[in-house]
Amino acid sequence: MVSGAVIAGGLILLLVARVNPETGAGLRTLAGDLVTPFWSVVRAPFDGAARVGAQVGNYFGAVSRTEALEAELDKANQRLRATRTQARELAVLKRLMAVREPSRRVIATVRIAAATSGSAVRSAMLAAGSRDGIGRDLPVIGADGLIGRTIEAGAASARVLLLTDAQSRVPVMIQRTGQAGLAAGRGQPTLLLIDRIGPDLPLLAGDRIVTSGDGGVFPPGVPVGVVVDARADAPVIRLAANPLGAGFVTVEQAWLPIPDDAPKGPVFDAPVPVEARSRGAPPPRLRPADPAAPLPPVPTRPPAKAAP
Amino acid sequence: MIASPPPPARLMTSDERRRWLISLWRYSVPGLISVAMVVLMLAPLPLPLPAMPNLALMAVLAWAMLQPGLMPLWLAFGVGLVADLLFGQPMGVNATLFAVATASLRLFDAMLLERSHVLDWLAVALLLLACSLATGPLMALAGQPVPVLPLLWQVLTSMIIWPLLLRLCVAVQRWLSRTAPRWSYG
Repeated sequence: MVSGAVIAGGLILLLVARVNPETGAGLRTLAGDLVTPFWSVVRAPFDGAARVGAQVGNYFGAVSRTEALEAELDKANQRLRATRTQARELAVLKRLMAVREPSRRVIATVRIAAATSGSAVRSAMLAAGSRDGIGRDLPVIGADGLIGRTIEAGAASARVLLLTDAQSRVPVMIQRTGQAGLAAGRGQPTLLLIDRIGPDLPLLAGDRIVTSGDGGVFPPGVPVGVVVDARADAPVIRLAANPLGAGFVTVEQAWLPIPDDAPKGPVFDAPVPVEARSRGAPPPRLRPADPAAPLPPVPTRPPAKAAP
Repeated sequence: MIASPPPPARLMTSDERRRWLISLWRYSVPGLISVAMVVLMLAPLPLPLPAMPNLALMAVLAWAMLQPGLMPLWLAFGVGLVADLLFGQPMGVNATLFAVATASLRLFDAMLLERSHVLDWLAVALLLLACSLATGPLMALAGQPVPVLPLLWQVLTSMIIWPLLLRLCVAVQRWLSRTAPRWSYG
């Protein structure tokens, strides 16, 4: 009896969540605010130990690695000289065409405090929230590439939807061909490249996938991953950055302002029954799209018909 | 026995009443440990797969075996609700699963004639598998369909962890019963 009621309560909660996905958002952010400080304190000593281990590991094979790096540096310097000329040309051209580009702005650099590696939803929590200026739908970027975007922000915690979550879709571009598409998560460590736009240009394994900047959340040019299986129906992308391996991540301002989704156009103020209108009540007032603007004046009564 | 029943109210001295009131926290230990396991599951491990064992559900099941009276269905529901809030899932997914799993464990317990660790292990493995498979339809019901196959990794790691977790809960219970207040009356 009681058990049936409890289970029925759970199913009702699910239906409520289906109708209104924002159910319990306040509770969720409160729970996050309570738990993230705990994990950001607990993980600190482990991070310190890992750093010491990495420093010790640096001494092994230092000579051969230095030689390899110097060879790579020579090649990179050659490329850099060529690129500088091109960059100057590009800047001149952009100035000639008066190209205006929004700039990227970092809001906060924080550590990933907690992660849901034991749940169907792949998300992480940051130990910074609206107090630090973090809101919804902001890009979260690690040192090696894109991590995800914020979906909820409490006072001192924010939830990040990782790239690998099944709900995540990132507008991307294939760097070699410039073709746009979507990188879709599927709850696995790799992504799928879906919804490619334009002709079916063949992909190569090793093609770099970067964000395209479409949609206005993610800034363009952030590495997402590398195509590993180009033959498949939906090419498979290996991630550039392990979403949870990153120690520190940056939360940036959304690339372009998110479009205002408030309803546009006039809104009926209040319904006026037909009976009242036929007796000469004024027609309903129209509310302007901007809620701050004052209501238009009450329209005057239509001239009363002369009684027969 | 997590806490011994107190002497009848008329026999209690004021000191005994104080000791009894202080010892009341013992009844909340199963729920607290389960919630602590939910928090533990949020550890920021760099796992590419959802391979973190489902410690919360296993703790609920372990306490439903050890102390059925202290892990009622509504408490399992509450632990699941906390898990939903912390994992960012729609409210009710884990809550329903935990409650149903606890109820099914009660049924198992009533049906089984002999008890052994291996049988418990099997029952828990079955419940974990059923729960991870049922996550898909429940998430779809809440409007957020997810693929469930990656969650089979979680079932695997959970099955490996289960004896350890059960041993931890048994140790906690033994420690609680060892330190439970003793009364001398009657």
